[in-house]
Amino acid sequence: MPIFRFIHASDLHLGRRFANIPEPPDGNVRGRLMEARHGAIGRIARAARDHGAHHVLLAGDTFDTATPSPAIWRQALAAMGGDRDIHWWILPGNHDNLRDAEPLWERIRAEAPENVHPLTSAEPVVIAEGATLLPCPVAWRSSGTDPSAPLATMPSAEGHLRIGLAHGGITDFTESGESIPPDRDCTARLDYLALGDWHGRMEVSQRVHYSGTPEQDRFKHSRRGVCLAVALEPGAAPQVAEVETGQFLWAEMELALAPRQDAGASLEALLPVEDRRDTLLRVRATGWTGLAEQADLAAAAARHGPEFARFELVTAELGTRYETTDIDEIDRAGALRMAAEALREEAMSDTLSASEREIAGDALARLYGYVREAAS
Amino acid sequence: MRLRAIEVNNVRRFTAAARVEGITDGLNVLCEPNEFGKSTLFDAVQALFFTPHGSRARDIVALRPHAGGAPEVSVEVETDEGRFVLAKRWLSKPSATVTQDGRLIAQADAAEDWIGALLGGGEGEPSGLVWVRQGMTQFASAAKKDQDAALVARRDLMHAVGEEVETMTGGRRMDHALTRCREELGLYATGKNRTPRKSGPWKAALDRVEILTAERDDLAETARRLHEALDARRRAKRALDELEDPDEVADRQERLKGATEAFDAARRHAEAVEAEARKVEAARISVSNVRGRLETLRAALAERQEATDEASLAAEASAAAAAERDAAQDALDVAEDALEAAKRRVTECETARREAARLQAARDGAERRKELAARIERAEAARRDMESAAAAAKRGPDPEALRELEKLLSEVATAKATRDAAATQVTMSYAAGRDGTVRMGGKPLDDGRAVPVTRHVSLEIEGVGQLDLRPAAGPDDGRVERAEAALRGALDRIGAGTMAEAREASAARTEAERRHGEAKAVLASLAVDGIEPLRAALAAIPEVSEDSDGPDLPEAEAALDDAGTARVAAQAARDAAAERLSDSRTHAARTETALGATQDRRARSEDSVERLGDVTEAQLEEEFGKARAALETAEALHAETAREAPDLAGAEAALARARSVDEKARADIARLRPELATLEERISRGSGDAVEERLAETEAELALAEADLARIAHEVKVLERLEAALEAAKTGSRELLFEPVVRELKPLLHLLWPDAELTWDDGDLLPSALVRKGEAEPVEILSGGTQEQVALLVRLAFARMLAAAGRHAPVILDDALVFTDDDRIEQMFTALHRQAADLQIIVLSCRQRAFRALGGQTLRLAEVSAGDVAR
Repeated sequence: MPIFRFIHASDLHLGRRFANIPEPPDGNVRGRLMEARHGAIGRIARAARDHGAHHVLLAGDTFDTATPSPAIWRQALAAMGGDRDIHWWILPGNHDNLRDAEPLWERIRAEAPENVHPLTSAEPVVIAEGATLLPCPVAWRSSGTDPSAPLATMPSAEGHLRIGLAHGGITDFTESGESIPPDRDCTARLDYLALGDWHGRMEVSQRVHYSGTPEQDRFKHSRRGVCLAVALEPGAAPQVAEVETGQFLWAEMELALAPRQDAGASLEALLPVEDRRDTLLRVRATGWTGLAEQADLAAAAARHGPEFARFELVTAELGTRYETTDIDEIDRAGALRMAAEALREEAMSDTLSASEREIAGDALARLYGYVREAAS
Repeated sequence: MRLRAIEVNNVRRFTAAARVEGITDGLNVLCEPNEFGKSTLFDAVQALFFTPHGSRARDIVALRPHAGGAPEVSVEVETDEGRFVLAKRWLSKPSATVTQDGRLIAQADAAEDWIGALLGGGEGEPSGLVWVRQGMTQFASAAKKDQDAALVARRDLMHAVGEEVETMTGGRRMDHALTRCREELGLYATGKNRTPRKSGPWKAALDRVEILTAERDDLAETARRLHEALDARRRAKRALDELEDPDEVADRQERLKGATEAFDAARRHAEAVEAEARKVEAARISVSNVRGRLETLRAALAERQEATDEASLAAEASAAAAAERDAAQDALDVAEDALEAAKRRVTECETARREAARLQAARDGAERRKELAARIERAEAARRDMESAAAAAKRGPDPEALRELEKLLSEVATAKATRDAAATQVTMSYAAGRDGTVRMGGKPLDDGRAVPVTRHVSLEIEGVGQLDLRPAAGPDDGRVERAEAALRGALDRIGAGTMAEAREASAARTEAERRHGEAKAVLASLAVDGIEPLRAALAAIPEVSEDSDGPDLPEAEAALDDAGTARVAAQAARDAAAERLSDSRTHAARTETALGATQDRRARSEDSVERLGDVTEAQLEEEFGKARAALETAEALHAETAREAPDLAGAEAALARARSVDEKARADIARLRPELATLEERISRGSGDAVEERLAETEAELALAEADLARIAHEVKVLERLEAALEAAKTGSRELLFEPVVRELKPLLHLLWPDAELTWDDGDLLPSALVRKGEAEPVEILSGGTQEQVALLVRLAFARMLAAAGRHAPVILDDALVFTDDDRIEQMFTALHRQAADLQIIVLSCRQRAFRALGGQTLRLAEVSAGDVAR
């Protein structure tokens, strides 16, 4: 039997609107992110072609919700139908589960191009000569059961490659019965278990893999999305190659600062140089700085932030050192100095609540900004 | 910074270049007449420092001469870095340059920045603070317009002082911070309570959260309905599929047919069973009838026998009852006789007891009478004693009268003694052995006893004759007689002849009163209410013969008790006999009634037997046996038929169920089809609307909006806190920052007013009052001269403070003392000199004569020669 090649992808979450991303008045980041998710179909198809694969296994959550708009699912089907040599095997996940997305799957069954195959029942499907696909569609949004359980008893023809396709979290050997056991390939005699749900790429074992989403949608993984080009041969270990498909990079970086460190320059040094427009960056500032450094940091962030698709400067873990020189800069004496001292005292108080301290600290930083503004 | 020279060209009246130079560190005075251009010079210097060279403001245009031209101003200043020339030109070919030793340091905007840095930040900082514009020079003008202008200028001056104070408190940056803070706060909130501004981002965020929440809830509800519709459709489809399944339909039909046939067969068999049952029922009725007749006959015979027996017994009982009634009547008669005898005995005993009691009472009355009679007698005696004593007690003088008599007697004695003492005394001394006696008034005179002679007496001297003594009348003649007459009168009134009688009568009266009291007490003890009640009580007691004989009372009472007891016993015996008679009479009546009833019963039973005819018991028994056999036969036949019968109710229920199932299936199908269509349409519409997508999007947007709202709320709190901190610090700093001002100002004020102080207004930071000799005078009511002096001194104090802070600035005074009188101006000059020790002061004045006494470096404004201009 020749080597059987396919693409393993999951969690396209088509239709996700990214409403949790603030839209700048003059920007269109949400639209670009949505478009990039749709574009992942084409990039997966290209990966299939590049790797000589005629099958794409989508391991759940192809759609972000159970009721995507007609434009979303029709355009997706149209894109998949663009190359009839590539067969798309689509597994319902928890987001587009059978129960909630019943109308969706009915329509896909009725209207999908011939090379697009919704897998709405847990029954073996011979997808190629010598290769049987064992799908485990998710019936409920949250079932509390192991979605891969049917694999153990699913039959296949003798000598066929057994390829499992499931969607759900993997257990940490607690045997809670609610998730997929990591040795499911063994218990179900699988040559490969293609999993979805986890948006980051993860190799659970030699034959069990999460492809992760082809287009990232969160800062957690700090790398572009991939799909997996898999080659299976009976009796041999799977050959799994990662193919980068993500347009946007979601990255989170830590900026560790120390007092009197040039915070603005440090931020600039940290920022990636390339592809800023296609990068969503979250910088978590940590450590301690003075008011001046914080003002410089904020200024640098304001200067460079718009260069990115999305830029977040998180300062929750950045402490403020109220240096005397900073307070002197507000004023060496007089009313402003008195106000600054009062706010500094509150910001460093042991008795006030965290909220009150934060308000006082922010007020002091604001006063510092006003004074610098007046001096400039 | 110190000014060294000023040069103007094409500035108002200076159509040619003019220059002031030689300005020293201390006090400099440019004293020139009016219209010389001092104020122009002031304005020119101010324009150079504060108005950009590109400006075409009205103030700049006002600098241009009537003939036109571009105003040019330059000053030479000295700083720690050396001397620089600052020059500006406005309107035409504007320029700004800074040169040092002819070398261009900066020009245009760079020159402006350079000048700005030199000033330390901008207008009012610090030079503008200590320059006094010409403001009051025309105050004395008669024209109201000019007076108003001067007043405005004076106000400006005072306001400038206020600004200085504010600046010394760091106010410009404070103002900026406060202004910015309030500006930003004002974007979000309005009013004292900081409510969200209508068109502001805070209100917008609140509205957005509200709108998104409502939208989210709507979408969630729509999604819920969609899920419900999906569930309903799933259930409906499953139900319809099952109902329309061909096998299911055939099965339902088969079940219905089978149930119908089974029911028909069961019904027919049931009818046959029912016919047999009717036969059984008829046989049963026949048996029942025969059995009834037999039982009736038997009952009638038994009844007749029983009635006969009962009548016999009743007759016997009736006879016994009559005998008992007669015996009871006899016993009653005996008992009643005994009772009558007992009653009579009681009456006799009562009569005897009454007689005994009467006799006892008579004896008691006789005793009582004796006692009462004796008592009355003693009482009468006592009454009599009392009456005689009372009569005696009325005689004789009472103690008072006796005391009066005794008093009168005493008066007689006293009168006599008095008279005798004054009267002639006759004392007879008998000779021893004399025979005769001398008598006076017939009584012999005692030897040696003096006898008074109060009236004519005759001494009879035996053997001698008679000697008449006639005493002369004394001064108290008649007193004794009056006393004696009074005594006699008193004695007469009581019926006594002498005093002894009177005393005896008085003693008798006292004795009578004592006896009267004793008799009265005795009477009272015997007859408290008097004697008459005793007599009445005596009269009430009948007189009986004490010796009458009769029965003894206790014996009579004992006999009466015995007779009473006997009567009670006789009464009880009589009552018992009466009750026995009553009972026996009742019983006899009953037995007679029972006898009648049993006789009636026997008659009725005999009638019953006769009504049954001639049939015998044996005949009826035979007939009953035949009827029972017929019944058993019918029952056996019915049982056999019923045993083979199918369950009709079960068959009917099965048929009903089969029909119900079929009908329900048809109804369900009829209901489910349109319902399914409706659900299909709803689901199609709902899923096509991308409800879940929109819900997820709205939830995410809501989270963002809530975060944004939280951020804004935090921002508002931060700004509020900052504003509060700034205001608190500003208020708190005033007192601290006034202190150096006051300290600096104090010696200057004391030059003019030795004990004066200024108070400050917390609100506008202006001097509010001048306190002299403990009296505070508001600044606005001070004279114009005093106001300008105060303003100038305050300005000088601030200039010193600025200099001390390293922000040295020249003080330029343009006719700052126009209302100050000659005396006061001397002190002001001293103040200026005092401050000029470490300040550069430039005084511009038109009062040449007055300012001659100021001293200091005299400045001259001179036209610049062409050569100098070229330089």
